Amino acid sequence: MPSIALLAPILIPLATAGLVAVCGVAGWKIDRIVLAAGSWAAILALIVLWAPVRSTQDLSLGPLGFSPLDLRLDAVGFAFTLMVMVPAAVLLTLQPRAWQEGTVAALGLAAAVFTVEAGGVLLTALAGGAAATLAVIQLDVEDPRATRPPWGMLLAAWLALSWVGTILQVRGGTAIYAAVPVSALTVPVFVLLAASALAASGLFPWRGWPAQLWGRPALRASGMAVATLYPLGFYLLVRAYELGDGHFPQFWLQAVLASLGVLVAFGAAARAQAATTRREYLGEVIPGLGGFTLMGISLGTPLGLVAGLATLAVAAVLAACLPLLPDRAGPGSLVAIAAAAGLPPGLAFGVRVIGLEATFEAGNFLGLLGVAGAATWMVSIIAAARAIGLPAGHGHPVSETVPRVAMGLAAATFIAGPALGLVLSIFAIPAQADVMPALPGVPLGGVSSVVTVSTVLPALVLFTPVLALALVAYIAAGPLAVHSEPRPALIALPAARLVARLREQLRSAAIPTKYRSLVDLHALEAAATGGGPLLWLAALVALAFAVTR
Amino acid sequence: MIVLADGRRGLALGIGLIAVGLAVLAWTTGMWLGGALLLAGGSVSIVALLRTGRQDWGLMPAGSTPRLILAAVGAVVSLWLAASVTTGPGAPLRFAVIAVLGLMAARLLQGHSAVAVLAAAAGLALALAGASALGPNDAGLAPYLLAAVIAAGATFLPVPEKRGA
Amino acid sequence: MEPELAVALPAAGAVVTAALRPRPRAALLVGGALGAAGLAAILLAAPGLTSDQLGVTLSISAMNRTLLLAAAGSLALVVAFAPPRTERASLLTWGLAGIAGMAAIAVAPDLDMVILLTLAIALLHAALGGRRGLAARLRAPALAVALLGVGLVFARVEGSPLLARFAAVGLAAGLAAALGTLPYIHEFDPEELTAASPIAWIAFLGPILGLAIVTRARELVPEAAAAFGAMLIGLGLLNILWGSLASWLTEKGTSAWHYSFMADWGLVLCAFGIQVADGRAAAVLILYGILLGRLPLYLWSRQSLRERVQNDRPINLLAAAMLAGSAPFAGFAARVFLLRGATQLYWPLALVIAIGLLLWLPPSLRLGRSLGWPRGKLAVGAGIALALSVAIGIYPQPLLSLAGL
Repeated sequence: MPSIALLAPILIPLATAGLVAVCGVAGWKIDRIVLAAGSWAAILALIVLWAPVRSTQDLSLGPLGFSPLDLRLDAVGFAFTLMVMVPAAVLLTLQPRAWQEGTVAALGLAAAVFTVEAGGVLLTALAGGAAATLAVIQLDVEDPRATRPPWGMLLAAWLALSWVGTILQVRGGTAIYAAVPVSALTVPVFVLLAASALAASGLFPWRGWPAQLWGRPALRASGMAVATLYPLGFYLLVRAYELGDGHFPQFWLQAVLASLGVLVAFGAAARAQAATTRREYLGEVIPGLGGFTLMGISLGTPLGLVAGLATLAVAAVLAACLPLLPDRAGPGSLVAIAAAAGLPPGLAFGVRVIGLEATFEAGNFLGLLGVAGAATWMVSIIAAARAIGLPAGHGHPVSETVPRVAMGLAAATFIAGPALGLVLSIFAIPAQADVMPALPGVPLGGVSSVVTVSTVLPALVLFTPVLALALVAYIAAGPLAVHSEPRPALIALPAARLVARLREQLRSAAIPTKYRSLVDLHALEAAATGGGPLLWLAALVALAFAVTR
Repeated sequence: MIVLADGRRGLALGIGLIAVGLAVLAWTTGMWLGGALLLAGGSVSIVALLRTGRQDWGLMPAGSTPRLILAAVGAVVSLWLAASVTTGPGAPLRFAVIAVLGLMAARLLQGHSAVAVLAAAAGLALALAGASALGPNDAGLAPYLLAAVIAAGATFLPVPEKRGA
Repeated sequence: MEPELAVALPAAGAVVTAALRPRPRAALLVGGALGAAGLAAILLAAPGLTSDQLGVTLSISAMNRTLLLAAAGSLALVVAFAPPRTERASLLTWGLAGIAGMAAIAVAPDLDMVILLTLAIALLHAALGGRRGLAARLRAPALAVALLGVGLVFARVEGSPLLARFAAVGLAAGLAAALGTLPYIHEFDPEELTAASPIAWIAFLGPILGLAIVTRARELVPEAAAAFGAMLIGLGLLNILWGSLASWLTEKGTSAWHYSFMADWGLVLCAFGIQVADGRAAAVLILYGILLGRLPLYLWSRQSLRERVQNDRPINLLAAAMLAGSAPFAGFAARVFLLRGATQLYWPLALVIAIGLLLWLPPSLRLGRSLGWPRGKLAVGAGIALALSVAIGIYPQPLLSLAGL
């Protein structure tokens, strides 16, 4: 396949956006078909590009000005592109949306794919920034009054990444992932990159935009925003391993990020167990999985990275599932909650087990994090059990829900649990091998089991009977009758209320009345713009004084 | 004179003095045509000032003591800069240019009447033409021609009525 | 002959358009044709090629030519997609006159001519009329001329080495005064016609003038280049802070736009002060953004500002994203170059600039909303401006090559 074909996964969504716009302007009501065809065609193109070769493919198209236009498709790019495109394609196919929304959604998808396929840091920053901007616009097109991610924070994230790219160019001569010298990734540069990654995906212990978006009246744009933007921050951290030749510059950076991962997961779990509606609980699912992903990716071990990538893959499937779920009790909600909570033998269970195993194998402080992670998991299971009986929430339009598909997606993650080894072998381990060398002589996985340093997890053999039992139990239980009612939080967290109060105080902070005369903005503006000769002369004297120092 | 006068006659006299002074200095450097152009420009400017508007001198009106001090201090500082701080031949030209530029700038900052500001702009143009002779390379006639046109045209500009967006 | 024609044709276009004002269509046709011919002359004026037809050696540099083309493009955009009830013939007249003036500055052989031309333009601009008095309109630009003149004198005389630094002070202060940036902000009346307001200096004439002064200042006082660069950076940072905060917090919408131009010029001054190739590239891209993005959007927003109409439609958000320098617009590429240049020079400067860049978003959202709901021709114009910005933002290389970078 000629290397120019690497453009296909980007150009197809771009062309789709154009076609949708044309259809919309012309009044042809086929934009949803076009969106569906385009998004799935892009996935097909990606698979056709990758499957026969399964090794890194590069395309260099000359200088753009600030960076060469280099594209690359390796295992990491393949994994992340799938994680972005598959949920997006599901949502674009099944949810009806106005043609304007569809156009912006397709453009955002193209930008997100470009972010992952970009061969260098600067190009990633450009494309990621574009994806963030388009996601915000999409959310505004759907409903300008509803919550949206803080645009300033997203802008800051990608601007910070662009600064990382320029520093790498200045210090290391290049910002291309495969060519950056290891010495260029110093601690300050990595801190900037990590901050960018955390801000880009909203990975904070408090309620960030990935959770807030689920509170919107409609979930079309929210689902697309989470599907296209959320994985990108993690992508940056995985690429950081490539920049650092398999590890972060210092161990303590791994420890800090892994700790933050646990905090993010715990924050989500704590909020989930205090949720007042099922929708509020479901809003914490993705952040909770994200926390475990961050923990796994940051450990710095091959198993941790594999576990992190697999957890993110589960989050990606749920990012497609949750927006399609109606806000009412039923088997769909039950299966989705069970899948998200990590009940055995689901994939979410398997990846969490692997993730915690990775922390124990890493040892020392990271082992302690594993204990905290296990505790967090328990809280999230309790929250899940509680959430089954919660009131639904204010509801989103029925037209954008497809309960059977949502249930099917959730069930798929359940059924795929015994195939954990296979999923890791196909999806996560090749990506890990690209950025981090595994220990010699220790394979990470096979089709039926996951091999770690200290143990072997025979997933297929262990999980299949559990799956069978679960299916039997489900069928035997018969029709579900869930009685929804408000339930009190199991664990009260005064700190959460304190944080919320502090943020509210900060937001409404104002200069006390008696001091306002000292900061009179009108007077300042009048003085600066009045054309006063004294100010001009004073400025001249100040400049003259400055140059004589 | 331009600093101290508010009336058209006073401003015209000021422009005349500037034009004559800079023309003479241009002639001393061999720029005969340049000097002539400066004189011509100044003359046209004087004619424009004396042809229209109220004809008065307006010399040192009430409250003009700061301007007098400014003029005196400006002249002294310019002399110090030209004769002491800077070196080399052409001290008179340096003095003239620095004094005119500085004082015209001050007039622009404190002037509220259009005529005074336009006269100061004309003076600026003439001084800038003189400054071109300070350069190491021969600037040719172009600066003198352009300065003359500007000086001539400035005082011809009508003071337009105020209008909104 | 091309440099001379680059000045003469737009000037002739301005004169003819003014003469044909009672017949607007004819004025637009003839003025447009002469303007297009002037544009062709600019394009054909190869950088470095000199012309002595008028007894003065005229030539145009690559960067000047690029900015002239941008200014011409901006004028074409604004005239072609003028808001309803706008006198397009008048707009074309003033625009062509401005381009003629800019072309004259661009081809001028030395700084003396640049300063004199600036004075001439200041006088003609003041004569346009407006809500401010003539003295108020002329004060700042004429002061700029005086400061530049003093700087020029200090640069040429012999004496203490400090004189070169004072020359740099005069040139830097003169530049700020000519543009109308802090601390030499031109008196601004929000209700005044754009052509007669300080926006004409800061957004239309400013790019060429700024480039001319910076380029020639470096040639004039090479021994004070570091001091000159430092002053530009200092003034730039001041304008970034003031421009973005004032644009966000001021009450009047038109003033918000005025301050936003100052903020952009803050970036340009920092970029010029950095004195490496990346700095120049950043400056060119930001100036392009001002001419082809911010200025047309400002003109298109005037009516909505008067009617106090605000909107939160996708086009308003896209405009806000463009004004904020968000990817994939031209401002983002400019910021990458600026950060790279600043990192090469002194990395804490890049940190300060990066923090300053975060201040762009709140005022940009405000300005984007103030565009109202552009319909018909205005929507097409806004779309073109956005598309151009995206094209430059993703692929700035052709533009930079045109500018000789």
